[in-house]
Amino acid sequence: MKTVTLDINQKTCVLEVRDSELLIETLRDRLGLLGTKYSCLEGDCGACTVLLDGNNVLSCLILTLEAEGRKITTIEGMSPGGELHPVQQAFIDAGAVQCGFCTPGMVLASKALLDKNSHPDKEDIVRALDGNLCRCTGYVRIVEAVTAAAKAMEKTS
Amino acid sequence: MKTTSPVGKSVPRIDARQKVTGEARFVFDMSLPGMLVGKMLRSPHAHAKIVRIDTSKAEKLPGVRAIVTAEDTPKIKFGSNEYFFPYTVDQFPLEFEKVRYIGDEIAAVAAVDEETARKALSLIDVQYEILPAVFDPLEAMKPGAPAIHTAMNNIGVMMPSSFGDPDRALKESDYVREDVFTLPSAAHAALEPHVSIGQYELSTNRITLWASTQAPFKIREAMAKTFKMQEADVRVIKLHVGGGFGGKLEMFPMDFCACLLSKKCGGFPVKIMCSREEVFSFTRRKHPMIYKLKSGAKKDGTITAITGEVIADGGAYCSYGPTVVAAAIMRFMMVYKLKNVRLFGSRVYTNNPISGAIRGFGGVQSGFAIESHIDMLARGIGMDPVEFRLKNATDPNTTTVNKLIISSNGLKDCIREAARRSGWRDKYGVKKETAPGVFRGIGIGVAADVMGSKMYKSHESAGSIIKVEEDGSVYLFTGAADTGQGSDTALAQIAAHELGVAYERIRIKAADTEITPFDTGSFASRVTFISGNATKNAATDAKRQILEVVGQELKLDVPGLDIKDEQVIDKNSGRALLSFDRAVVLCYSFNYGRLIIGRGNYNPKTTPVDFRSGEGNISGSYGFEAQIAEVEVNTKTGQVKVLKMVDVHDIGYPINPASVHGQIEGSIVMGLGYTFYEDLKFKEGRVLNASFSKYRIPRSVNMTEIESVFIETNDPQGPFGAKGMGESSLLPTAAAIANAIHDAIGIQIKDLPITPQKVLAALKEKESGRG
Repeated sequence: MKTVTLDINQKTCVLEVRDSELLIETLRDRLGLLGTKYSCLEGDCGACTVLLDGNNVLSCLILTLEAEGRKITTIEGMSPGGELHPVQQAFIDAGAVQCGFCTPGMVLASKALLDKNSHPDKEDIVRALDGNLCRCTGYVRIVEAVTAAAKAMEKTS
Repeated sequence: MKTTSPVGKSVPRIDARQKVTGEARFVFDMSLPGMLVGKMLRSPHAHAKIVRIDTSKAEKLPGVRAIVTAEDTPKIKFGSNEYFFPYTVDQFPLEFEKVRYIGDEIAAVAAVDEETARKALSLIDVQYEILPAVFDPLEAMKPGAPAIHTAMNNIGVMMPSSFGDPDRALKESDYVREDVFTLPSAAHAALEPHVSIGQYELSTNRITLWASTQAPFKIREAMAKTFKMQEADVRVIKLHVGGGFGGKLEMFPMDFCACLLSKKCGGFPVKIMCSREEVFSFTRRKHPMIYKLKSGAKKDGTITAITGEVIADGGAYCSYGPTVVAAAIMRFMMVYKLKNVRLFGSRVYTNNPISGAIRGFGGVQSGFAIESHIDMLARGIGMDPVEFRLKNATDPNTTTVNKLIISSNGLKDCIREAARRSGWRDKYGVKKETAPGVFRGIGIGVAADVMGSKMYKSHESAGSIIKVEEDGSVYLFTGAADTGQGSDTALAQIAAHELGVAYERIRIKAADTEITPFDTGSFASRVTFISGNATKNAATDAKRQILEVVGQELKLDVPGLDIKDEQVIDKNSGRALLSFDRAVVLCYSFNYGRLIIGRGNYNPKTTPVDFRSGEGNISGSYGFEAQIAEVEVNTKTGQVKVLKMVDVHDIGYPINPASVHGQIEGSIVMGLGYTFYEDLKFKEGRVLNASFSKYRIPRSVNMTEIESVFIETNDPQGPFGAKGMGESSLLPTAAAIANAIHDAIGIQIKDLPITPQKVLAALKEKESGRG
């Protein structure tokens, strides 16, 4: 067991973790951040996506120890104070949500894209979301949502 | 709160905020005090006798709380089509005589943690006597093949569909052709894995099960039966469900075992979670099929007869086999006017994993076979495939040869509109080489929707309750299970419209078998149509109760009153009399003391299908669509690129257009997967590609341009004219693409998935003159 200090959603969190503990386990099982979804635990589906220093990573492939000293953002950190992030609002408005199991990962991957590329074209978007599986929507409305979010963020920035 | 009706508008999903913020809770996320980890012990053999199960070593392992085998159960079988097909009830929650596939459940363990549970499984000593196994349905049907159940030649389901005189009709045809199509297995691949939490209350002998399910009431029935309990003593609760697609439509042994383990360990809740590998290997899968057809046509384009044989690999147990076979051999009669039909469906037991329901039931397999075959018939008589379909398409207000009663029917409009929008006339049959060796083509397929299929019980009723509280809040209780398709939202829209209030007022509670009214579940595209009508009726009832009080108070005739835009109005003058809020307060006040509780139910008008002939009206109404694919085929690499899909769909009326488009887009992209690469592979009963890295489902980079268009036929039975539509857009996709490939390069692939290797092989065969 090691003591780690984690920066999760701009809050500091000190806890003891096993060397082999995966970030998804720490987030879900120990901190109750259940918006990070468990779907394959093999790095294939993107449902457990979180942001690490702004980059989308799969929390099932990362040891909690590796996340020490880096900024971790989970879906719970996307709307501090209850105000939705433009990406979240765009997902609602575009009808990009169906069962919702991929949604947290999709929203975070989209945010990571838009933070780096404020004017993505369709090709940029589909490539950025390539690691996030969705079985419901066929991705059509997800891509529309990200496009709309880019426009909305441009207006507010 | 000034509003107008939400019906027909793309209002935000009722659960959208919870889902985008990660607050939506799925059973996978749930934990309860004292909860234990459960795990299933599964057979490593495809076919074996169970000689002995010794759990003594495992029981001694510290941390193990309970181990169950069939000896802890009443040993009662369950099945999914019990009402019409009692002989297909063939599975025990825990097997004890023999195992029939790799994964068959024989014991379960509850322990303090995952590691202990896993270790306990390894300490259970099972002695097997290996039996010869059979994996190929054609082999399984031969005399002398290993007997998996007691069914003769391992044929668990035999189903005919027989009308007219097909032999004579074929003789009188100008053109007859025979084709054989082969369809692989596929996985549902819903993102939330299967999960159950069971809790047994020892003081009352009652069970609560939290499950990721499409059909809480169906699970309740199977649980009660296999536990030998009253249905009332089994409570099944659904939270948000992370996708289903037919894969979460039944009770699974893990549901049963979570509750049984809880009983045995003294009432602690037990959670059993499937790994992704378990979902792929041990839940359900699509029936692989061999689809043989022999059909004829007249020179004028009339289809004279469709005949054939369908053989489905059912795997180890029957599951929803009868429904799947019925869909496979009957569904095309919704789209084509036919007088002579003879199909025979056989669902064969093998020692493969269990085949079951998956979006479209057998309609996807039949969609590929029939719609490819129809194109080939059209070409055989030299007719344009669009004209050929228009010539044979069913009409509104008709009864088909198998006694389907079709009222509204926009099929011909769908075909014409899809052809117009895709530029069919200018493109079809025109050779277009866009780059050296790269050819474009266009192809069509059509399909029909059912909205319900009465194959689970004698009725298909759904109920709704609407409770209006004194503060004006409106609760809608429904047993319908939204698994992501958006039915909760559609039902809330329907309730709001009918009650005359804002959509935002509606809070929906679904589904809990102890609290919400009965509903058979989310399958057969039935929820908007059936549960929607039930909800509309409940809202009408609640409104009537409010208006009665208002009428009494204001001394006005109730029939002259209505509620619109949150106001009680005089229907004649349109004048607002008082607000909805005030009307509700009035209902509750002083000597009225009326608690507003509206109730409604709906049972679609159908006639039972006679499964000896295939005759009967299975659904309360029917929806229709036409899909046109445009492709580009590279003859050097065999690669096929889908440039665009046009889908024109008679949806009756769209309660929520964005949701309806979302269903169509999701289906088409799922169809692209099945067309090009989805293929659940097996070797001696073991799944070879049980992960997302090996079983590829469409990713964002694989999506294609989709133009989705509605034809509004305003169905007389549908709520606000709406029809069900969640499955059929998957049906014609593969055939439309295969037909487009033929238009591009002159080869017809009859074997899914359409891989570059198959395209190249077919091209080679064609060039050598054998194609």
